[in-house]
Amino acid sequence: MFIDMHVHPAFYEPINTDPEMERLRHHTLNIHKNGITPLEHIFNQMDCAGLDCLCLLPEDYHTRQDGKVLVSNQEIRRLVDMAPDKFIGFASVDVYDPKAAGKLEEAFTDLRLSGLKLHPGHQHFYPFGEAAKPLYEICEKYDKPVVFHSGLSWEADTLTKYCRPDVFEELAAAHPKLRICLAHFGWPWCRETAMLMLKYPNVYTDTAALYFDCAEEFYRQILTRDVPLTWIDRSLRHQVMFGSNNPRFEQIRMAEAIEKMGFRDSTLDLIRSRNAISFLGGLPEGGRS
Amino acid sequence: MMYVESISLLTKKYNQYIVITSRIREIISESGINHGMVTVMTKHTTTGIAVNEALECLESDIEEFLERLIPEDYPYSHARMLKDYGSTAGNPTGHLKSLVTGNHCHFPIADGEMISGGAQDVYFCEFDGPANRTINVVIQGE
Repeated sequence: MFIDMHVHPAFYEPINTDPEMERLRHHTLNIHKNGITPLEHIFNQMDCAGLDCLCLLPEDYHTRQDGKVLVSNQEIRRLVDMAPDKFIGFASVDVYDPKAAGKLEEAFTDLRLSGLKLHPGHQHFYPFGEAAKPLYEICEKYDKPVVFHSGLSWEADTLTKYCRPDVFEELAAAHPKLRICLAHFGWPWCRETAMLMLKYPNVYTDTAALYFDCAEEFYRQILTRDVPLTWIDRSLRHQVMFGSNNPRFEQIRMAEAIEKMGFRDSTLDLIRSRNAISFLGGLPEGGRS
Repeated sequence: MMYVESISLLTKKYNQYIVITSRIREIISESGINHGMVTVMTKHTTTGIAVNEALECLESDIEEFLERLIPEDYPYSHARMLKDYGSTAGNPTGHLKSLVTGNHCHFPIADGEMISGGAQDVYFCEFDGPANRTINVVIQGE
């Protein structure tokens, strides 16, 4: 089995019926010239990459965007219902929304979403600040993980100071039962991410990073040199998940590249799916087993 | 008179060769133009339009020839973050294969029919699939 833990469905055809929202999504995500994508194309792309499941991430920054939710939890649920054997859906809430805790609880109960996605750099909060603390308690109550954007963000109006890996340490230490993913390997602070994973077993990362060169060259840089391959293959093998950040990055070529790094087959198996299943607390109903 | 129609395709593979001759003949018939020229042109820069014999053996020969000429494993410059896309370029081989095949072809039209050789078929060539693709068919004449 092969799971892509980091996919943004903002341009999927079934949730793009409003041209104004489409323009906002292009602007906010800072992704352009990519068009609207029919689900059939997504499935063709998955076939070429050998992927079985995609984890779909919503984005809610509405207190900073005139009340507009970029990709809502309801839209994610709608997409998951269209292909429950292929899609895993996460929730997002704006940490500065006074109703955020209630919305998150509703996302886990009524919408049956599998985890929480937060982007501190876009939402302008520190991960261990007061604003987000009630959300972590809800995640622990329902045993749901949190995916945080970490490291560089290419989205508009984002600040990296909120997502450098070391700002997540207090959270990881204070909530040892809360599974958190510092996405994008925290690039360019991959060693900080490795340090946190070494110290805190509840810290995971994903491979959704491709900021220079081609997929194979960039993966070779960050997964064999910045962080030596042996560190992952021997010590961090239960905490790294495959992610592509599609549509920003090259899902098919990244899926091919991860195979070429030289990991043991058993480590590859963990990166391709088993770590994601552990992080999720098991595959959701409808997900392939 | 000019008649313009487009063909939309959802390709399924990374590299794929799709014969579109019969669809071009249909569009010529729909145009009502009896004498003139048809131009078939892809709207993309990582796809091609090629005229060749539609044989499985030739398709694999063409595919392998292009792979030898333009290997995937090569330090291309077109592998970097593109700011106006907000994404990373990873398809240099598609652009270069497109350069080799070209992006269009022309055929004369007489008595409402496309005039072509018995072995000539028109291929849409996908070099960076799967993708959502559009081909323009432009017919000029009377």
